[in-house]
Amino acid sequence: MALTGLDIFKQLPKTNCKDCGSPTCLAFAMAMANGKASLDMCPHATEAAKENLGAATAPPVRTVKVGVGEQEIVMGDETVLFRHDKTFYHPTAIAIQIPDTLSGAELDAKIEKVNGLVMDRVGQKIAIDMVAIVNASGDAATFKAAVEAVAAKANFALLLAADVAGLEAAVPAVAAKKPLLHAATAENWEKVVALAKANNCPVVVKGNGLDDTAALVEKVAAQYKELVIDFGNTQQAKTLAEMVNARRLAIKKKFRPFGYPMLACTIATDAKEEIVEAATYVAKYASIVCMKVDEKPLLLPLMAWRMNIYTDPQKPMTVESKNVYEIGAVGPDSPVYVCTNFALTYFAVEGEVVASKIPGYIVAVDTDGASVLTAWAAGKFVAEPIAEFVKNIGIMDKVNHNTIVIPGYVAIISGKLKEKSGYEVVVGPQEAAGIPAFAKARYPHLMK
Amino acid sequence: LNGYPLNPLCRRIRLTLPVANLQDNRDDLNRLTLALKKETKCTDINISLAIIRNLGEILRAAHFKVTVLLSEVGGKAEVIAVEPGHGHQPLYGLAVDIGTTTVVAYLLDLEKGRVIDTAGTHNRQARFGDDVISRIVYAVDETDGLKTIHQCIIDTINTLIMDLLVKQRQIKESDIRVIMTAGNTTMAHLFLGINPKFIRLEPYIPTANFFPVVKAQEVGLRVNPDALVFSYPSVASYVGGDIVSGTLFTGMGNADAPISLLIDIGTNGEMVLGSGDWLVTCSCSAGPAFEGSGITYGMRAMHGAIERLEIDPQTYEVSYTTINNGKPIGICGSGLINCLAKLRRTGIIDRAGKFQTSLSTERMRIGETGPEYVLVWRDDTDLDRDIVISEADVKNLLRAKGAVFAGIRSLLNVVGFELESIETIYVAGGFGNYLNIPDAITIGLLPDIPIEKYKYVGNTSAKGACMALLSQEAWMEANSLAGKMTYIELSVGNLFMDEFVSSLFIPHTDLTLFPNVSL
Repeated sequence: MALTGLDIFKQLPKTNCKDCGSPTCLAFAMAMANGKASLDMCPHATEAAKENLGAATAPPVRTVKVGVGEQEIVMGDETVLFRHDKTFYHPTAIAIQIPDTLSGAELDAKIEKVNGLVMDRVGQKIAIDMVAIVNASGDAATFKAAVEAVAAKANFALLLAADVAGLEAAVPAVAAKKPLLHAATAENWEKVVALAKANNCPVVVKGNGLDDTAALVEKVAAQYKELVIDFGNTQQAKTLAEMVNARRLAIKKKFRPFGYPMLACTIATDAKEEIVEAATYVAKYASIVCMKVDEKPLLLPLMAWRMNIYTDPQKPMTVESKNVYEIGAVGPDSPVYVCTNFALTYFAVEGEVVASKIPGYIVAVDTDGASVLTAWAAGKFVAEPIAEFVKNIGIMDKVNHNTIVIPGYVAIISGKLKEKSGYEVVVGPQEAAGIPAFAKARYPHLMK
Repeated sequence: LNGYPLNPLCRRIRLTLPVANLQDNRDDLNRLTLALKKETKCTDINISLAIIRNLGEILRAAHFKVTVLLSEVGGKAEVIAVEPGHGHQPLYGLAVDIGTTTVVAYLLDLEKGRVIDTAGTHNRQARFGDDVISRIVYAVDETDGLKTIHQCIIDTINTLIMDLLVKQRQIKESDIRVIMTAGNTTMAHLFLGINPKFIRLEPYIPTANFFPVVKAQEVGLRVNPDALVFSYPSVASYVGGDIVSGTLFTGMGNADAPISLLIDIGTNGEMVLGSGDWLVTCSCSAGPAFEGSGITYGMRAMHGAIERLEIDPQTYEVSYTTINNGKPIGICGSGLINCLAKLRRTGIIDRAGKFQTSLSTERMRIGETGPEYVLVWRDDTDLDRDIVISEADVKNLLRAKGAVFAGIRSLLNVVGFELESIETIYVAGGFGNYLNIPDAITIGLLPDIPIEKYKYVGNTSAKGACMALLSQEAWMEANSLAGKMTYIELSVGNLFMDEFVSSLFIPHTDLTLFPNVSL
């Protein structure tokens, strides 16, 4: 079990000097417990504290990096089994395989296609992360040539999958790109790990199931710690179980051999099944999924899924601010209610607009999930942002009037809002419960 | 003084300096400071230019016998005045609790270490808004807003000073030599005329948490112009000196203190959890519902306010008692808590606060804002209408009580403790005087722990300010407390929001938290 903030606090100097950037020693201890700060930020920590806390606050899953510059991928450093307990930090990297049996124009076309696996979703660019060059030819020289060709053109970090001969031929040529080597096995690990160490590259340790892999990692970790684990996927259900167990052991029991990022290669042969298989690994702790599919329409849902899974859930409950909400059979005469996008606020308003039996539009201004008064207090629900929001969302084009209804508690902003927006601003009731009475009094002609 | 020694922030030292002659030809300032250092053991003594300007005459006016008025904290001293002779002028101090709504001043005799008199009045800033946010908006957005609102609080305190001096005729304003103020962070900023703009804007940063000591004339207080004005240090934007003062007063931060909780049940809903080792604090923004604001017939606890009521479970008839037995005109905070508990016990509302409109009593009806329950018929009131409580009122109260309880749970959660770990719960604030603890537990406002663990402490802000005036040790402890209190920002993460939603029921979604509340 991880240390709590108070456990860590007991070891701190309690000077409250703020030198670490936190306002108090306890705040710093809490940040450390959450993995947001490390002890070396405290200039006054005693040696004893460093010794006691060093091991205990070490992250359960080691951070391992592949690639350099913009292609760099950070893996590991995860702390929870379920995202709602905190969050998952580093999204699963998706690696697309390129066999070294391709060459010339074929290879170029493939690289171009893989480079094109970049898409837009909700205003963000999402893309694959790695290119995996696979030594399908079995020939070291062919592999080296393919790796060099890919490295010259690919926009993503490299995963090199080959036997010892292939790796020894190719790695020195592209070591500056910090590729991930696949894989150190029970048979070849000494040579592969020596190669990884010499070239300062991370390496995949590939075993066969939990016990075998743990034993192998222990041997390797004694010499080198830039590791990624591969349980040697032979059956999907088994791999799922192995990754779940490994992550549980790493986090709950601090079992060091599994305290590394994990890689899974898909084994499904049908492209759609492969996506489903990959989706499972994305949800269940894989840091890299290595796959064959290279079709955008198939990969897009996988990437969207990854984005959703790795979204920080520690955000306030909100409703989507992008839509104008239509309550009932709205028409051009319907009233326009303005509230915030805090879920409790929105649903309180929505419920009462329904109860009023007068169809209406609701605009949920994006206040980062703050309620009306909270957002007003923080300057997020005041004239300018509201005017801009209502204008941008285009609601006033849908109605033939020029009136918006604001919550009674922010009556104070009505003058300025009218001035900034040019709309007629009507101050509604303070409580949403007053909306039915308000609506009936104001819009009797719209009653059904 | 709760264990602190009487050692006021300001004292008189009567000195007989060696007379200057041709052998001892030291300058006057040196002559004085050396004697002071010897007398006080202070190494760092500051004397202002204004005092030095006329020092030569003062030393000689009574043949090098002088009385020095000195403020001394932690080995550093500030000379407030140097006067000729060894007179017996009294020495007074003023402790001021600058509340958002109410300002209270205590006049203290620093040498005898006792309170002479108190006075209270409304904070005149109220015309710019009932809450700190409206006042920040005014100070920032209006022309000369800060200046105006700063002057308002100064005027308010000056009025109190006048009241106190009129009541105590023998005391002159020039005899008040030191002032200690305690108020929330916004009040402290406005009192000193510091721009409060960024207090309310993310990430909610006050300009200062520790404030300089200033002279009374710099802020315009009508006491001795050279009097020193101390301001209690704050912790964060919404946990201020008033709470630090309260924490000092309760002694919950004392070296061997067990885990306790201080709750100020007011609009801002600040609370502090901790022990001698650590302290965490937050502000849960409960809103003014329990102060009667935002409730249809809510009012302050004064003449004619219903403070207790019974509802017959068979007939649904209501009986009540009012403050001073006046004809009812509304309900005060304790009455509202009582009312909520009774409405639930009789099944008039369900656990979510929804009115059971099918009940066969004419007291249940549909009003303008939805269902409402008649507590007092018009003929029995001092109004020309029925006193009712509406479903919207109930929802408002549920949010206020939910915020307080969620704040308590959030604080416990960040340090990993259970309710059972708390030894004492201190309930502070003007509201605390009227609070019925069992009712508050019934509705889920306060945790269901043995009633013996609860302690009323009243206006701890003012009491802590008095302590700091009378004891340097207390003042130093207050500064150290403010430095070690850890502010928990409730708007970060889902913790508070989850707890809040779970607390919007009577008493709570999780009934195991309230084992002694029968429904």
